[in-house]
Formats: sequence, structure tokens, C-alpha cells
Amino acid sequence: MSETSTTQRRVPWWRSQDARVIAALWAGFTILGVIFALIVPHHLMGPSASNTMTEVERTFTAFSVASAPVAAVVWTLGVYSLWRWRRRGDWTPDDPDGPPLRGHGWLNGVWMFASSALCLFLLIWGLAALSSVDSPATASTPLEIDVTGQQWVWTFTYPDDGNVESDQLYLPIDRPVVFRVTSYDVIHSFWVPAMGIKVDANPGMTTTTQTTPDRLGIYEVKCAELCGLLHADMETDAHVVSSQDFEAWTASQGGS
Amino acid sequence: MKVRAFGPVLTVLCGAAFVALIGFFLHQQPAPALAAVPKAGADPHHAYIHLSTYPDSMAGEHGKDGGPEPDWVSYGPTTTLTVPRNSLVTVTISQYDGGEAITNPWFAKVHGTVGGTETVNGKSVTQVDPEAIGHTFTIHAAPTAQDPLFVSAPLPAVPDDAPVAPGSDYPAPIEVTFTFQTKGPGKYVWNCEFPCGDGTYAKFGGPMSTRGWMSGTLTVT
Amino acid sequence: MTVADIYKTDPVKGGPDGGVMRRLNMGTGILGGVVLALIFNLVIKELADDTVHEVDVRATVTMVGWALGFMAGMGAFTGPFRWLVGRDLTHADEVFLAGKDQGVGRYFRFTTDHKVVGIQYLVLVMVMLGAGGTMAMLIRTDLISPNSGFLGPQTYNSLVGIHGLTMILATIIMVTGPFGNFVVPLMIGARDMAFPRLNALSLWLLVAMLPVLYSAAFLGGIPMGWVGYTPIADQGPAGVDSYMVAIVIFAISTAVAGANITTTIITMRARGMTWTRTPIFVYGVMASVVLALPAFPMFMAAEILLVVDRLMGGGFYVPNRGGQPWLYQNLFWLMGHPEVYVILIPAVAALMELTAVFARKPLYSFRVAVLSIIGIVGLSVTVWAHHMFASGWAPDLNGPFMLTTEMISIPTGGLFLVILGTMWRGRIWTTLAMMCTYAMLWNFIIGGITGIYLSDVPLDYQLHGSMFVTAHFHYTLMGAGLTGAIGAMAYWFPKMTGRMLGKTSGFVSFWLVQIGFNVTFLGMFMVGLEGQPRRVVHYDAAYHTGNTISTIGAYFIGVGMLVLLYDMIASWRHGEPAPMNPWGAKTLEWTVPNPIPLENFAVLPVVTEDAYGYGEPAEPGPVRVPVPAGAEAGPEEDEGAMA
Repeated sequence: MSETSTTQRRVPWWRSQDARVIAALWAGFTILGVIFALIVPHHLMGPSASNTMTEVERTFTAFSVASAPVAAVVWTLGVYSLWRWRRRGDWTPDDPDGPPLRGHGWLNGVWMFASSALCLFLLIWGLAALSSVDSPATASTPLEIDVTGQQWVWTFTYPDDGNVESDQLYLPIDRPVVFRVTSYDVIHSFWVPAMGIKVDANPGMTTTTQTTPDRLGIYEVKCAELCGLLHADMETDAHVVSSQDFEAWTASQGGS
Repeated sequence: MKVRAFGPVLTVLCGAAFVALIGFFLHQQPAPALAAVPKAGADPHHAYIHLSTYPDSMAGEHGKDGGPEPDWVSYGPTTTLTVPRNSLVTVTISQYDGGEAITNPWFAKVHGTVGGTETVNGKSVTQVDPEAIGHTFTIHAAPTAQDPLFVSAPLPAVPDDAPVAPGSDYPAPIEVTFTFQTKGPGKYVWNCEFPCGDGTYAKFGGPMSTRGWMSGTLTVT
Repeated sequence: MTVADIYKTDPVKGGPDGGVMRRLNMGTGILGGVVLALIFNLVIKELADDTVHEVDVRATVTMVGWALGFMAGMGAFTGPFRWLVGRDLTHADEVFLAGKDQGVGRYFRFTTDHKVVGIQYLVLVMVMLGAGGTMAMLIRTDLISPNSGFLGPQTYNSLVGIHGLTMILATIIMVTGPFGNFVVPLMIGARDMAFPRLNALSLWLLVAMLPVLYSAAFLGGIPMGWVGYTPIADQGPAGVDSYMVAIVIFAISTAVAGANITTTIITMRARGMTWTRTPIFVYGVMASVVLALPAFPMFMAAEILLVVDRLMGGGFYVPNRGGQPWLYQNLFWLMGHPEVYVILIPAVAALMELTAVFARKPLYSFRVAVLSIIGIVGLSVTVWAHHMFASGWAPDLNGPFMLTTEMISIPTGGLFLVILGTMWRGRIWTTLAMMCTYAMLWNFIIGGITGIYLSDVPLDYQLHGSMFVTAHFHYTLMGAGLTGAIGAMAYWFPKMTGRMLGKTSGFVSFWLVQIGFNVTFLGMFMVGLEGQPRRVVHYDAAYHTGNTISTIGAYFIGVGMLVLLYDMIASWRHGEPAPMNPWGAKTLEWTVPNPIPLENFAVLPVVTEDAYGYGEPAEPGPVRVPVPAGAEAGPEEDEGAMA
């Protein structure tokens, strides 16, 4: 079933039967992968509620699209080998071996070069995304909110608004916000999935994360680090409201 | 080669039985619940429930000798509570335990109750002295889709020099009463937010991290 | 004067061979452990009465007593003790210790024969996978609906933690233990490991460790996940003491095993087996232990500092006593990241080894394979803080760690190249072992790509601590690691047991496990992207579908693994007897007959070419040339006298 090298010498390797089918399979798998990458992650992650989350979803989609041809190589060769080169029945000592390809050729170099190029792409994209997420250039001064985690409740303090303290997080839309996060006891992790921000709440230290919410609505605030008995219940709500509603809320909580 | 399915099927059944056995032992047995009930002849949408907090486990649901951890502070008579939906629920807590300064002074204030107040020994207050807190009673939501509920009532500490009341093992309690409104049905959790447990660190270990002592469930039926 | 002469001149001191070791076995081990545990418990009760940390001190000291007593009862200390009093073991004692003529009983003793230790490791791994798998079934049952109430939060959190630790420990040893011990000495043409008694020691330490680990269930459980983050580990009940002691025991066992394997591979390869002719599996095992040797002491150090915190009121991890929780995280992940490659590399190396056999082709680019393994080993010690991107520790280092982490994809891609290249134009024999290679390719490409997402810092901010991470590491450790171990088991089963593994059950199990596995963890990627955190006993109703899918998949895995268990045991007991070399492989372990003689080779082989000469014109017969009798007499002849 396997073609010998004498037959193949007539046709350049890239025009051989193997190459055509493999190219077709690879293209097919890549297209499927790209379609999956463009639709599924965004659908699962839901609508984004902040500029950070928009960046997160864009990066996820971009990396998925870039990975599709890579995964397709593996799938193609796996499927093709099973279809084309699988022997029937058990091996016996009289059966001939396969061709003695030791693999010292140019393919290794090409493969390493391609993986390094891909790695470089990921790195450059990643560094760019990281700098836009960690140190965003913001037009206005950010709103500062102190986030305190304790077993097993989140509380939020607004030092800019007369030290209003609440178990619910209220955020004015389109205003950059900086969260200063700490814990009274064990490590928790302050996570707002719809906004793509997360940072651990450590006892004795303050960590920061920041974003700009850009969509009205009520989103969940969860704890993402196992912190004991009621870790699963350490949830509260983040309300993104208009600035007038935000002022009204801080006033109602006794703030300025 | 004849395929014998008996062996594999038997192995799978034995394996499943083993898992089921372990699961049976680990399955949580909910303690009998204490229900909030309305007063006879009065508004059926206003229920009442009475709890106590003790400096040890001799009272409460732990059995005669205090159960496996007699030294642990404990709520009583049980930590499994049910309250009716769309009702006012008035909780009275007899606080027998001492205390000290709370770590997070936000929990020295009253939150989520009707009027934002609680009654301490007859006096209506919006917060108590953060330097002398015994426990808190804090309800918050489990993450399933249900109406939000957040109530936190601080319970002042009985002074360390208070004398033991006659006919009792404990000093006279501080009576704290507060009322909150329930909406739709759901499962909630409650626990004490004052670090009154033991353990090497931050005193949220021990009874604070164990259902049946300082943590429990609240089901809105 | 040779080593053989020392044995001849040392007079036998009288008494039967083996001395006290004749009487010692697992039963006396358990007896010794229980007795010493009780003694330690009583003594410490008096000494530590009414101290602040009494419960933890008592628990820890009792467990240490159990471990020491068990090892003493097994006879682990007889050798050193006799050396101390000037009566070293005689040659006859050593032959007894190697289990000569002892039948099944030798599996329950402190037996030094590497083949016995290999089988013991295999059984130990099966027990641990069974325990961890049971816990996994319970966890998934609890998660079948958003608030099932099947398990309470304390039980659930402890199950998640102990499942994790059990599986991590099991997967660390699952290839280097059974196959590193049984196969590697045969594969390099040696008679045993470099340190046979240390080999037995490393195994029995793990047996001592298991009751310590599972005692956590009776001591309040663990509240902190398998990683044991502080300060919640400082806060937890006495179950955390079980966790700490178990890890210290494990780290000692691994250090001993690592020293043994490394020395064996470096110094005891057969004559003519240069590094270019050494099989890739040997490289994989050695890379794994070379990585483990610096890594697991970090874990041990992290736990010892925690012991000081919990038992002695130290403040290493407690901020209000001058400590820092990030210290634990750094120490832990300095172990934790190399550790995943400790798990992965031998599994993939075993698959590379068997792919060449079942494709009837040389391993594609042996050089790339070795360099990739070395690259992974080197890079894996530079990436640990990618587990801490969201911790807030050293945000300026997030970029550099992202760089090193993404670079690991390059040598990992090299491994794919080797396997795909080996399959290219081969004559592929789809045995169970070969199917495991295909499954690994599928699972590892998904695991690797999802790892890329996690290596990107802004993505990790979103995905860390969610079920996405759980799905990613199950795809790599279980999808690639465990699948590779199953492949290794299927490949070497005929040599280790002398029987062929039943084919039909094997394939039924394979498909159940692989399909169940993908269903389970694809469902988990789904809920992770939707926003479900890790280690939660109940969850938002929005994640119901994904979780139900995962649970059903998990049940398939359970059924599949049970079928594999049946297959292994039934084939072991009355499977078809295996020929010497059923797969037509060219490595040295396939040149010894079944049952394998105690000394492995009557005459030590001499190697003249590598084991991948498929399709290459070669002289018929085995690759190594036996030394003609009478020529170059010396060490080989005397080692033959061991029979």
C-alpha cells in the first residue's frame, strides 16, 4: 500500500498524492478551526462590560485563529496516517518495516522556525495587550475604590466619596476605576468576569487592578481563590450605572 | 476469542458500588431545621425565630457533652434555618458570649434590616461598639439564580466581668432583635463575620469554618 | 581485589540468609507503624499538653511515629544498622533481599529486585488512581446540578484538595515508578539499579505515606486545595498536618528514587551504549528525575516552614507576624511547574519509544527529541510565576515570565514533530499502545493551545482561578500524561507479566475513557469561559448545562477505567502467554525471556547500534553481540555467578 520512492521520483513531492490530500485536509481543518475560533469563545464569554474585557475577548479570538492551523497540522497528520498507512491485522516477524527515515533534513529547521515565529507573534501581541490592560492611558482621573475581602464577604469603600462603604459595588459608566484590593484574613481573589479583571486579595498587602466599565448592567463579582468554607458563596453584584445614578447612590449611602 | 462481558460488567458494578458507599458516608445530612413561624392570630406574613450564641458547645445541636468540640463557640439550637418567602422575618438572638475588637469595623454596623436598625436590649441602634463585639449574624447569597439577600447584624459582647446568671451556666445574655424582608424562594448561607474561632491564623478557623457552629444555611421556602 | 572478593572473604556470621529480613514484611511494617505511632502519641500528649498548638503537634508527631515505625518494621533500616555494627550484608543476604525463590511473598517484603519494585509501584499507582478517581466521581456527582446539596462545603473542599494531591502524586510516579524501575535497567542492559535497597526504600516510603495522607479525612479535612496556599493552610484543622507530613515523606521518596535512577542511567548502561544509542525512554525518565531532584525539595521546604508556622507559632506565612503568603506561593510553584514536566516528559517519551515500534520506523530525528526534552527541562525552571500572574506579586515580572512560558511551546512542538515524523509513511499497527499515542496527540494539542491562552497575562487575569484552568491541566496531565502511562502499560505489559493484555476490553476501555475525557473537560472549558470559579461546591444556574455534560463524561471515564482495571487483572491472571518479543521491538528489554531471570541477562550485552534501525539493512539477529565465552573474562563472568 505504501508507494516506493522510485514511483514518486517522477512527481515533485509537493504534487504527490500524499501532499494534495494532506493539503486539502489541513485546509479543511483550519477552516473549521477558524470558524470555531471566531464564534464560540465570544459566545461563551458573553458581552463585554469594560475595555479590558474587550481586549481579553479580542486576544482570545486572535490566539484561537492563530492556533487553528497548528492544531490542523496535528489533526491532519494523525487522521491521514490512520487512513493511509494503517496496516491490517497483527504484525508478524516477516512483515517488512517502514522506510528508514531518520529525519535529519530541512523539515526540522522549518518546523523550529515556524514555531519560533508563532511564539514571537504571541509574545508581541501579549506584551501589547498587557501594557494596555495594566497601564492604560486614561483621560480622566480614575475613581478609586478599596476592595476588602474577608471570609466570606466582599466590602467596597469609596475614599473619594466620603468613605461610603457597601457590600454592593456601584460603578459609574465610562469612568476609569482603580481597585485597591486587600484581605483581612486569607487570600481571596477579586474577579469581575464580565469586565475581565482579577487580582488576588492578600492579607497585609494591597494589590491593584483597573478598568473602565463601558456597559450598563448588573454583573457578578466572585472570589476566585479557595478561601475556606463558603468560598462558593463569596459573591456580590457590580452595578454599572450612569454618573447621575452613581451620585445618587453615594448620597443615599451617606457619602459626599 | 470469545468476548466475555461478565467480568468487566461485574468490575464496573463493584466500582460503582464502592463509589456509592463512600458517597453515602460523605453525603451531608442536613440537621433538622428550625423554622421561623408567625405568631398565632397575628399577620401570617411576619415570622419569628429565636437563636442564641454560646461561649461553648454545651447547648445547641451538639449533644449532651458538647459533641466533638465542646470548647468551640456555637450558635444554637441549630444552624439550619428556614424562613417563609415574601415575609418579614424577625430574629431574636440571645448573645451569651464575650468578645473583643472586630477586625473589619464595617460589620459593627447593621445592614440589610428593615429601617437599617436592630434593637439591643430594648434600645434601637444602627451600629454597636466595634471594640466589643461577640459575633455577627450575616446572611448572604449562594450563587444560584435567586433574589439577593444580604443582612448583617452585629451582636455586642457580654462584658468579661459579667456574673453568671442564677440557674444558668452563662451570664445574662444581651438580647438583639432585628427584622428583614424575604422575597422569592432560595437557598442562602449565613455565618458569623467576627473572628471568634481558633486555629493558628485570623481566627476564622475552627467553629467559624464549620457548619453547625458559626456557619449555617437559611432556606427561604 | 574485586567487589566479588569482598563477599567471598567476609565470613557468614551464621543463621539463615537474610537474617532478620526473613521475618519482616508488610504485616510487621504495619505493626511497627501502629506501635510507634501509639508510643509517640502518648509521649507527646504528656509533653505538649495544654500548649497552644497541641492538636497539630500531636497529630504530626503521631504520623511521624507511624512512618518511622512502618519503615523499621519493613526492615528498611537493617542494612544501615548492620553496617554500623560492622556486619554488612553478605552476598547471600543480598540475594535473599532480591527476592530469589520467594514466590508471591516477595512483593510484600522489602525486596530490592527492580522488577519486583516496578510491579509494586504499578499496584501502588493503581490504588492511588482508584482513590483519586473515586473522589473525582463524587466531586462530579455533587456538581451535576447547581445546588445539589450532595456534599457539604467542608467535605467538598477537602475532597477537591485530596483528589488533587492524590492524582498529582500518582501521576508523578506513574511512569518513572513502574516502568522506570522495571524497564529501564533492562533497557540499558544492567542487572539492577545502582542502589537496590534505596529502590525498595523509595517504594515503601510511599506506602507509608498513603495512610498519612488519607488520615486527613478523619482530622477535619483540608480547606485549601491541593496547592495548600497559606495563610488558609495556617488556619486549617489537623488535616493540614496530614498533608504536610505526607508531602515530606513523598519528597524524601522522590529524592531517593531520583538519585537512584540518575546514577543507574549515567553509570550502568551496557558496554557500547553511548548516549546516541540510548533509547529515548531512558532520556525521558532521566530528564524527569533530574528535574524532580531540585524541585521537590522546594515543596518539602515550603511544607517545613508551614510546620513551623502551625506547630511552633512561627510567622513565615502570616503577615501580622512578619511573614508573607507570597513566599509560600513562590516556593510551591518553583516545585509546581517543573513538576508538571516531571509528569509529562516520561509519558511522552514512552509514547515516542513505542511509536517507533508500532510504525516500524526509526524515531524521527532522535536529536530533536533529545534537544526538545532538554529544552523543556531547562525552560521549565524559569516559568513558575506564571501561576502567580493574578497574585499581585511583582507585576513587573509578568512580562518576562510570559516570555519564558511561551518559549516552552517551541521544544514542546519539537516533541510533536518527532512523533508525527515517526508515524509518517510508517506501517502503523494500531494496538492499544499506539492508539494512546493518537489520543495523546489530540489531547495534548488542546492542552497545549489552552496553555498558550493562560500564558498570556491579560487572558490569565480573566481565566485564572476558573474552571478553564482545571480543564487545561487535566488535558495535559491526564490527556497526555495518563494516556501516555496507559500506553506504556499496554506496551510493556507482556514483558512485565508474561501475558498479553486482552484486546477487546482494552479497546472498549480506551474509547470510553477518551471520549468520556473529552466530553468532561470540553464541558469544563465551556463553564470556565462563562465565568465559573474553581473549587466551588455549588455554582450559578447559568453553568448548569456545561456541568451536567462534564459529569456524564466523568462517569464514562470511571466506567472505562474500571474496564481497564478488569482487563489488567484478568489478563495478568489468565491471559494468553506472551512470546519474548510480541511487538518486534529492538530495545534490550525484549531480548530477555519470560519469566525474566533474577539477574536479567546471563551475559551482559554489548551494544553496537541504536534501537531504531527499522527498515535499515542490518545483520539478522539481535543488535547486541554477546561476549564470546572465555574472552575478556572479568566482571561479566562474576556477575553471571549471581544466578
